[in-house]
Amino acid sequence: MLLTILSVLTSCIREEAPNAECDIIAVKATWLESNKEILSGSPIISNNDVMFYVKEETSIETLKQLDPEFELTYGALIVKENRIEENGTRGIYLYYRTTSEDGAWSKTYRVSFTKQTVIDVNAVFGFENFELNQPAPKGKYNVWHEVDANGTRLNWWASGNAGFNFTGKGKTPADFPTSSDSAGFKGCCIKLTTRDTGSFGKMAGMPIAAGNIFLGEFISANAMKEPLAATRFGLAIAPSKPLTLTGHYRYTPGETFTDKAKEEVAGRRDTCAIYSVLYEIDPGNIVTLDGSNVLSSDRIVLVAELKNPGEPDEWTSFEIPYVPANGKVFDWQKLEKGEYAITVVASSSKGGAFFEGAVGSTLYVDELKINWDNK
Amino acid sequence: MKKIIIAVLASIIALCAPAKTNKINDRDKNLINAALLGWQIRLSAGYNIGGTAPLPLPREIRGIESYNPGLNLAIEGTVEKMFGKGDWGLRWGIRLESKGMTTKADTKNYHMEAWNTDGSGQVVGAFTGKVKTSVKNTYVTLPVLAVYRINERWNVSAGAYASYLLDGEFTGEAYDGYIRDQNPTGEKAEVTRAMYDFSNDLLKFNWGLQAGGEFRAYKHLAVFANLQWSINGIFNSDFGSVTFPLYPIYGTLGFTYLF
Repeated sequence: MLLTILSVLTSCIREEAPNAECDIIAVKATWLESNKEILSGSPIISNNDVMFYVKEETSIETLKQLDPEFELTYGALIVKENRIEENGTRGIYLYYRTTSEDGAWSKTYRVSFTKQTVIDVNAVFGFENFELNQPAPKGKYNVWHEVDANGTRLNWWASGNAGFNFTGKGKTPADFPTSSDSAGFKGCCIKLTTRDTGSFGKMAGMPIAAGNIFLGEFISANAMKEPLAATRFGLAIAPSKPLTLTGHYRYTPGETFTDKAKEEVAGRRDTCAIYSVLYEIDPGNIVTLDGSNVLSSDRIVLVAELKNPGEPDEWTSFEIPYVPANGKVFDWQKLEKGEYAITVVASSSKGGAFFEGAVGSTLYVDELKINWDNK
Repeated sequence: MKKIIIAVLASIIALCAPAKTNKINDRDKNLINAALLGWQIRLSAGYNIGGTAPLPLPREIRGIESYNPGLNLAIEGTVEKMFGKGDWGLRWGIRLESKGMTTKADTKNYHMEAWNTDGSGQVVGAFTGKVKTSVKNTYVTLPVLAVYRINERWNVSAGAYASYLLDGEFTGEAYDGYIRDQNPTGEKAEVTRAMYDFSNDLLKFNWGLQAGGEFRAYKHLAVFANLQWSINGIFNSDFGSVTFPLYPIYGTLGFTYLF
């Protein structure tokens, strides 16, 4: 009888609706192969962006001729929009519009081709360039980018805001763990706040979200499933050997320190984290460090970590030296070959990756600068 | 299977019946008098099996992986009054019953909206993956039925019922899939396991149609089967978390003791 009911139910299953998704899933391997002379590394595909890095010698005119081929959600269509924007002097943006199989949904992808750029040796990260993750009203939270001397926009900074978005608690950009604040040391600064993620966060075993900002990529698809793997720290953008990390910060820890189960840990006080790591990569197959090993990997060559940050409620400057790790010595040839990645990380709760911290802990960071060996 | 159930029920009643008839000796007279005027008092017990399901199944549901009817019992006391020659009559009463089930389904772009427990945040999205739903509702039900007696052995009935929810549980989990923020074009996040509980959103009132047949196997014992088809859903129609109405549709198999 149960089988009968089950089969009746199953027979009620109606014909599958056409797909409603319209994603760019991948760049066609054939296209990558035929353009490998120009391309550097693998493209990075996110929900509304596809980023290609191209070799230094490629001309902007060449880039404008490109028309990459994509693999899409089954049944989806793609149309290249008739607009090309220049990204400073070092890149271009193309736009593609995809439409789902059922015709009901569509979105625009910004496809960028950018010449691989390293950090300018004089660059100061002031966090003045930020915007909403998407144009209003869809956009909910802030994202930051750098602009180099040639006016080229570089999406180097990432945060966990895209993950917090799934808690439903972010109504304005200031509600998110990582936000911009106008009361910076100079202009705007980064404000990192450890937030309560509410019942949805708790349900997913992630009761708090520490504010974080880092050089790297945040993979929001991993945010719930494998949060430590969502924060991909580091980019191959080191121009030289880093000597010190300087900047300004102020910090107020939250009242109640809680553990992964959101249980109060009596007597424990939250503390912030500011650090930078330079580590080895294989440029042909970049595997970044993530939340599980960013300070413990045996690939780390140099590390600069703010020890005992305290709780300064006024802007306080710091200068922390990069010290060798794992007995490794900085190798200029490796740098030349692109075998180093560097990250700078700040977080309002040091144990944030493991969901340990105090809701309300607030760290302001501004004017970060890596001082490089000018050899 | 049906035969087995009937046999089990019949043997249960066979065990209980003698005890009862001995006890009610002093009331037999009243019952006989009532019977002569076309009244009958009945006590039924049954097993509800069915589903709290959308109709038709929405296209977002791509497959049903498993179905467990659970143990849903119904106990009912009814009064029947036959009119004229005794072919037609009316049956009404009160029933305490549970209607529940557990299903696991595969979904694709299943629209969901959910508020967090303190109401400080709402998640709206499209979920693709597996959904486990568990319903366990206990109702007190008032059925009103027209009865037609085909012959000494058989009668059929049809009418309506109104139910009041005494205790409701609607819980579930979404797992092995991904949610996309707002709609199918939104940012994607893989979901290992997310639980939900909409028990507090269940409507107190449910009503629908009921029809069935009864076979009088012995003088005091009849077996029956009927179907309850709900007209209203178990949630308000504007409830965003379940975007299609869910109708309790249950069949009942049981026996009736006829006084």
